[in-house]
Amino acid sequence: MSDPNSTRYVFREDPQTEPKSSHEDAPETPEPYVASKALIQAVNLAIYLRRPLLLEGEAGCGKTRLAHAVAYELGLPFYRWDVRSTSKAQEGLYTYDAILRLHDVQVQQHGLEIAANGDGGQRDPSKPKDYRRFGPLGKAFRVEDVPAVVLIDEIDKADLDFPNDLLAVLDDPWSFEIPETNETISIPPDRQDLRPIVIITSNKEKGNLPDPFLRRCIYFFLKFPDDQLQEIVEEHYRVSEKPTPDDKLLKTAIERFLAIRQDTGLYKKPGTSEFLDWIEALRGFAPLDPTPPPLTADGTPPYPSLLFKLRADWQQYVKGHPPTP
Amino acid sequence: MNADERRQIVLALFARRRRAGLALGVGELLAALDAIAGGWGAKSDEALKQVIQLLWCKSAEERREFDVVWEAVLPLFADSGRDTGPMPPVDEPPTPPHHHEPLEASPPSAGENLPPTTAEPSKPGWGTLPVRAAYKPVTTDEAADFHAYGPVSRRAMAYAWRYLRRPVADGPQDVLDVKATVSLAARQGYYLRPVYRRRERNHAHLLLLLDQNGSMTPFHRFNRDIVETARYDSRIEQVNVVYFHNVFADHVYLDPHLTSPTPLTGALSPCDETSSLLIVSDAGAARGYRNLTRIRRTAEFLAQLKRASSMVAWLNPMPQERWAGSSAEMIARFVPMYPLDPEGLGNAVDVLRGQKIHIDI
Repeated sequence: MSDPNSTRYVFREDPQTEPKSSHEDAPETPEPYVASKALIQAVNLAIYLRRPLLLEGEAGCGKTRLAHAVAYELGLPFYRWDVRSTSKAQEGLYTYDAILRLHDVQVQQHGLEIAANGDGGQRDPSKPKDYRRFGPLGKAFRVEDVPAVVLIDEIDKADLDFPNDLLAVLDDPWSFEIPETNETISIPPDRQDLRPIVIITSNKEKGNLPDPFLRRCIYFFLKFPDDQLQEIVEEHYRVSEKPTPDDKLLKTAIERFLAIRQDTGLYKKPGTSEFLDWIEALRGFAPLDPTPPPLTADGTPPYPSLLFKLRADWQQYVKGHPPTP
Repeated sequence: MNADERRQIVLALFARRRRAGLALGVGELLAALDAIAGGWGAKSDEALKQVIQLLWCKSAEERREFDVVWEAVLPLFADSGRDTGPMPPVDEPPTPPHHHEPLEASPPSAGENLPPTTAEPSKPGWGTLPVRAAYKPVTTDEAADFHAYGPVSRRAMAYAWRYLRRPVADGPQDVLDVKATVSLAARQGYYLRPVYRRRERNHAHLLLLLDQNGSMTPFHRFNRDIVETARYDSRIEQVNVVYFHNVFADHVYLDPHLTSPTPLTGALSPCDETSSLLIVSDAGAARGYRNLTRIRRTAEFLAQLKRASSMVAWLNPMPQERWAGSSAEMIARFVPMYPLDPEGLGNAVDVLRGQKIHIDI
């Protein structure tokens, strides 16, 4: 099957490595990301076997960001597909605007000029291809020379059938048809290395995903990065080129944050993204604040509005809000 | 450990996981072998384990189970190869002596320190491992609490409900009919506007009658799942739920705690001939009673139900073998009764959508 020497794409999670040559659709901004060894292995295995990598884990742990980081580091084109409750698998491949074509025919018949596309391209109603638009997966199938990274975000939001419909495309023979234009979009069988690298995230909103789908995926559960918080903060400030918060503040903040997270009474635990916002508030906003709240080991944490998003959690941590009778 | 040996381990693990009833297919096996052929998991046993876990384990639970199997299988392939004490199900004993040497000669992969350290713990591990393996199942038993319980998962229920539909095109008029648009434009000679059709909506009506408390207590979880999936994970337009205890009386209850009674006739009033009525009860099969009063009352009630709609089905959470001799056996003659498993649920939904006509015997 795959040639072991063909693993040109190895994710090292080393943001220092600027990609040598990036595809035009590759992300341009670096993504500060700190991954565990096991996660790096999972990513590389997914790249090697070209099986979808299914990420589960609590919200705000960096599920979505991973795909961006992988695409940036490897300099590969990145297509993101946000799944909604009404999403259909076909939308990820292509959509076809039949009405626009009919409209253009009429316009042409009346001798009028057909308005140009947003990108300046001219449509011709006699060419059905001018009216199909590729979705994220469809684009990934059409990239030449390099594989694309596709992020399918929150797959569990969609209809029950969605994951299974998707499977039909993400498997041999890696092709799909567009009946409207009589085309077959496929990845050449002799170019296995062009198969897209698919990263899927799920929150288990509607229970488990279907078995046949799970069987095809590489499964990884992202834990909250308890012991990597410092590294993550440093990485973020290095990439964003903002002044780093001083060590003492960072240490106290991490301790306090982890203590809050260990509280089993919380209904919604704050995640990494909340933590980063909170640190930024402590670093950048507190000096501007006329009455900066103190960061202490107990009592009300400063800027609780960044950490607690449910009323019950808020009431538990924020003293005097609202005043108790 | 060389590639051949890793392959053997994968095959042995695969056989064990299959025997444990895990839905692993040839695809997963090939993926694991493919990964090994590509040099994955060559560094250490731990690396190999991680690779296989990534490919085969789809939940934290399965990972824990896999840990146990791994602990049991790995010693069979330990490099020391002194004596093969535990009886391996796979024909491994001849291989270990051959593979002792490659391990010593594999510093390029892992550095000088690693081979002795990996070989060291495996030797004393020989005697103790079976003992350790015996402790592990306890932890997995605990974890099984979080496992998908019982025979029908919520997903299976949601799937089954989807077949219960009575589509009527009376929704908002926003579905583009390309064919009609084109043909209209062709007939008129010019294109004026697109043709829209009305969106189809599911006008199915489902009345759930759930037996609560008493012998049904162990199945409350199913009752809740049935109600929740029918209400929130299905496209059924109208779902009414009433609860009762053991037999139908003049009053049924609107809440699972049987505190807010409502007259039975009132509960049945929204039903017409297109309504589907599903009863969930063990019908005495859980305790094995045959109670004539219960049978008579139920039969009367079923006759009343059938005046409202002919699409009546009964789900019995007890397996079919347990119906014999109890009231359930008798009641199953009046109404299509199915056990609560994926197949039974599918059959019940078939009845609820009027696909199977039940003939009273």
